[in-house]
Amino acid sequence: MKQMTIISGKGGTGKTTIASSFIKMAHEHVAVDADVDAANLHILLEPVIEKKEDFFGGEVAVVSEDCISCGKCEELCRFDAISDSTAQIKIDTLKCEGCGVCKYICPAGAIELRKDKQGEFYKSSTNYCKLVHAKLDPGAENSGLLVTKVRNIAEDIAYSDNKKLIIIDGAPGIGCPVIASLNGVDFALIVTEPTLSGISDFIKIYEVAKFFNIKTFACINKFDINTENTSKIEKFCVSNNIDLIGKITYDENVPRAISQKKFIIDYPDSPAAKDIRFVWEKFAEILYN
Amino acid sequence: MIISIASGKGGTGKTTVAVALALSNGYCQFIDYDVEAPNADIFLKPDIKNIKKVTIKQPYFLMDTGLDFSSCAEFCHYNALAVIKNEVIFYPELCHGCGGCILVGPQGGVREKDVEVGEVTKGFVKPGIDFLKGNLTPGSMRSTTVQNELEKMVNSKGDVIIDCPPGNSCSMVMAVKNSDYCILVTEPTPYGFNDLLISMAVLDKLKIPYGVIINRDGIGDSAVEDYCRTNNIKVHLKIPNDVQIARCYSSGGTLLDYDISYQEKFEKIFKEIEGLVYQES
Repeated sequence: MKQMTIISGKGGTGKTTIASSFIKMAHEHVAVDADVDAANLHILLEPVIEKKEDFFGGEVAVVSEDCISCGKCEELCRFDAISDSTAQIKIDTLKCEGCGVCKYICPAGAIELRKDKQGEFYKSSTNYCKLVHAKLDPGAENSGLLVTKVRNIAEDIAYSDNKKLIIIDGAPGIGCPVIASLNGVDFALIVTEPTLSGISDFIKIYEVAKFFNIKTFACINKFDINTENTSKIEKFCVSNNIDLIGKITYDENVPRAISQKKFIIDYPDSPAAKDIRFVWEKFAEILYN
Repeated sequence: MIISIASGKGGTGKTTVAVALALSNGYCQFIDYDVEAPNADIFLKPDIKNIKKVTIKQPYFLMDTGLDFSSCAEFCHYNALAVIKNEVIFYPELCHGCGGCILVGPQGGVREKDVEVGEVTKGFVKPGIDFLKGNLTPGSMRSTTVQNELEKMVNSKGDVIIDCPPGNSCSMVMAVKNSDYCILVTEPTPYGFNDLLISMAVLDKLKIPYGVIINRDGIGDSAVEDYCRTNNIKVHLKIPNDVQIARCYSSGGTLLDYDISYQEKFEKIFKEIEGLVYQES
């Protein structure tokens, strides 16, 4: 069984458009939406939820009225999460990382660690394959942990149903949810665009993939928007041994398809659809090998 | 007044809007809070004054002392270390640098060193605009540590414009939480609409007032606009879908470079927001 993650660094480069197309064309596979705080795969895949579970994130510190205002916890907290500890103590749950130092040091035993529900995750069926997806509560923390949860479920499904491939639609950025979506996968596909922002973020996400020793492929979306930048990306790929697997034409059928909740690959005259099919055929040879 | 520019979905035009707002305002502090993929400098082209490293403290264990470190492993809430046969195995990528292992471990057995997780860049964009950006080191998960450094440097005496990271999780909350107003940038597609609703839920929870800018207007459907109309949410601007704007953006051009009339449009938006914020308070 192989796992591949689609990432980009910069948002809005076309990860979900490409992921949904691959999911429709692939076989013997499981899909994961690892963009847990802005998930979009369900819009096209229209999943039927089979199993729903609550997500409890990491712990946060809560203080009781036994607090003696000694100030020790504030002194030792490395995350600036505690303030006014010698008067009416405040704990910023956004900054608290649940390390437990304050609880350990508190002479009055006034601090406890508590775990709250921070979202839900789902095992679903679609017309194409099983989909594991999630909904992080608005503004919640621990998105990386939730990504690990959904990936574990996808792996269980893949083993029990004897699937050959897990396709993971990643989040933008290079931080914890992205790293959680890359951890231990066989391949990463970076979807980039020929803009200066796209290039800057492409280099960063490539460094992350390299850091974790993942075989990396790249694909340039809307490549004809700026051919000078496209050739910059091509050169970068050559000198860094990144397998540039394809280029996709700028095509206004893409947002049109999204708005009609249709797959771009079902548009017969779409240049982008043709390019995506070509990328998939090349990729499928590697993935199913 | 602190104005943040956010968007649940990535790539909808946060930076485009934030940059245009800053340039048309002329006197403000601009902060790129998208520490995982900061791009505003591509458009603002600031002169850099200094770059400060952001570090966290991580432990190392003096194993030749023969001391027993099992209490450290038991304490660690992140499972960043294990002790097997008196040997410490440390996973630095899981360590948050809380210092717990030093507190609970054998005295003198655990020491700390600084580990770089990113940097903060200070500069200015022509007299009037102070520029700040955070930059996370690839491979590090300490986005919030870098954002924390930025937070300490916010100068809220004047106007502050914050370019937020995409999404609706903690790093977006870190960026918007102190703002007086938030502009949500979206595109008129089901993806944009879906993620916009989640961002609105975050801002409602934080009690931060907000309005919407629709970018690439015309590519999709009217769901976003209908929703805003029905729910009395201010749509400040619609930027038309135009491949020329995309081309201009691709080589580092701003909306004002593309069409100088955006200067006036964003000045007007700024005044609208001032009106809304001071009327609220």
